[in-house]
Amino acid sequence: MASGSIIEMRGLSKTYGSGAKQTVALRDLDLSVERGEIFGYLGPNGAGKTTTIRLLLDLIRPSQGSATIFGLDIRADSVEIHRRIGFFPAELSLWEGRTGDQIIHYVASVRGDARGIVKHADELAERLDLDTTKKVRDLSSGNKRKLGLVIAMMHSPELLILDEPTGGLDPLVQQTFHSMMDEYRDKGKTVFLSSHVLSEVQAICDRVGILRDGELKAVESVEKITNVEFTWVDVSFRDALPAGLQQQLESMPSITDVSTNGARVRMRMIGDFDPLLRAISSGYVKSLHVEEPTLEEIFLAYYSGDKEAS
Amino acid sequence: MLGSVFLETLKQTWKPMVYWGVGLAAMALLIVLMVPLFDMQSVATLLESFPPVILAMVGIGDDLAIFTTNEGFVAVGFFGKSALIFAVYPVVMGMRISANEEDDGTSDVLLSLPISRAQVMVEKFAAYALTIVGVVVLIYLGLYVGVALGGVDLVVARLAEVTFYLIPLMIFIMAATMLIAVLARRRTVALGLVTAFVIISYMLQTIGAAAEGTVAETVGAISFLTYYNTGEILTQGFIWPQIAGFAGLSALMLLAALYRYEQREIAV
Repeated sequence: MASGSIIEMRGLSKTYGSGAKQTVALRDLDLSVERGEIFGYLGPNGAGKTTTIRLLLDLIRPSQGSATIFGLDIRADSVEIHRRIGFFPAELSLWEGRTGDQIIHYVASVRGDARGIVKHADELAERLDLDTTKKVRDLSSGNKRKLGLVIAMMHSPELLILDEPTGGLDPLVQQTFHSMMDEYRDKGKTVFLSSHVLSEVQAICDRVGILRDGELKAVESVEKITNVEFTWVDVSFRDALPAGLQQQLESMPSITDVSTNGARVRMRMIGDFDPLLRAISSGYVKSLHVEEPTLEEIFLAYYSGDKEAS
Repeated sequence: MLGSVFLETLKQTWKPMVYWGVGLAAMALLIVLMVPLFDMQSVATLLESFPPVILAMVGIGDDLAIFTTNEGFVAVGFFGKSALIFAVYPVVMGMRISANEEDDGTSDVLLSLPISRAQVMVEKFAAYALTIVGVVVLIYLGLYVGVALGGVDLVVARLAEVTFYLIPLMIFIMAATMLIAVLARRRTVALGLVTAFVIISYMLQTIGAAAEGTVAETVGAISFLTYYNTGEILTQGFIWPQIAGFAGLSALMLLAALYRYEQREIAV
């Protein structure tokens, strides 16, 4: 195992079914996550992110390959590993008839040292503005997810494994969550965070692994991924499209894929906005929308860039 | 920590235990209150006119003398014929050991904690077994309340063995349910299989009892309900080899479920 590696996966594969019905959920995954980093595990839905996490937690078993966490085998040493990790599942289900407090006490008692853990849980709940006196069935989906985060983090684990943690959280809470992740990093702890939201991974992660169709396609620093980033820009004019604008845009090196629809123009843009703003200033701009590229687009852009470079 | 799942299971189950216990105790109470409505001598005369096969099918057998006592009427008429009702509670609890939490997804959270699957299962099993004891105690209290309310001439203590014999029987049903649920993985599939198991056992027992000396009697012997013969228990007391059989089979099923649950994947 490489020194400093917290998670080490070697040839990890998972298939379901057999024969013609066989489905490959994860293929030959080699990946190391280093101590003290926030690792983003990025991929579209169905890419194999949750499968990887369920394998690491010993909820399902690998078809091939092996993995260690803290140098311990995920199967043979699962109880010891679980003592040192916190987990947030993508499909979070909690005991509906119990209150947040009751669940926190239950989980804390299973972990031992209940008093210290519950005290920290109260602090986390306060930071996330969560009312733990309500029954789970009476909580909104966002508040259920807050409770899930409290349960994952309340024992200050060495490693956090978070599967799509921020879906359903309002922007303010997402901001708090991002601060919490920064604090985790500052304390030298490790986070393995799966997401299909690029902006989230960009905001908090140090390195990113891109998973697609069960295969790990790239592991890069966030900066490098960001370098291939582009945006979609949608401009609507009050009147008609200014004469010659389309040709002007198409001639600009930072702009591609220009399409028009009446008084609207849509394009793909890399780099600074200034050249674009100058170009469209000849007309009356009614609105301007900037869209983040989809993960698939980033992925394709990243690879076309790699090919060009080579 | 050892015992956390056990305690939490009790906290989550004490209310259902009380509801079920009170419901079944109310049934026992009503049966006791009905006892004075029957003139046992007339009932005996009437039953003597029935073909033995019919009497055997309804669990009375040859010994009419037992049935025509007040205690025998309650033992055979209530405990003997309510086996399917008594089976519901352990089935519900057996489903809770793994199938329900797996189906609703809470097992992902629980099994991500520092606790082995075996410990989760054993602690839940022990907690639910304890609630079965609670339900049976409430049923027994229901008999007492019935006697007190109706002034019925019935010695409840004579029904203690018939009542508490339900504990190994119900734990056996829970263990069978747990094993089937662990093997089937899905709640709906498991529930279907368990229901079939209980109903087929009931039918085998009924047919077996009616067809003495035939193949059906031999087949009836494989039904677990055959070993909850209330008339026999009333006259002989605890039949220890049968209780040991229930306990042994329950332990075997628990071990088989533990092994399988450790080996297999947790359903998504």
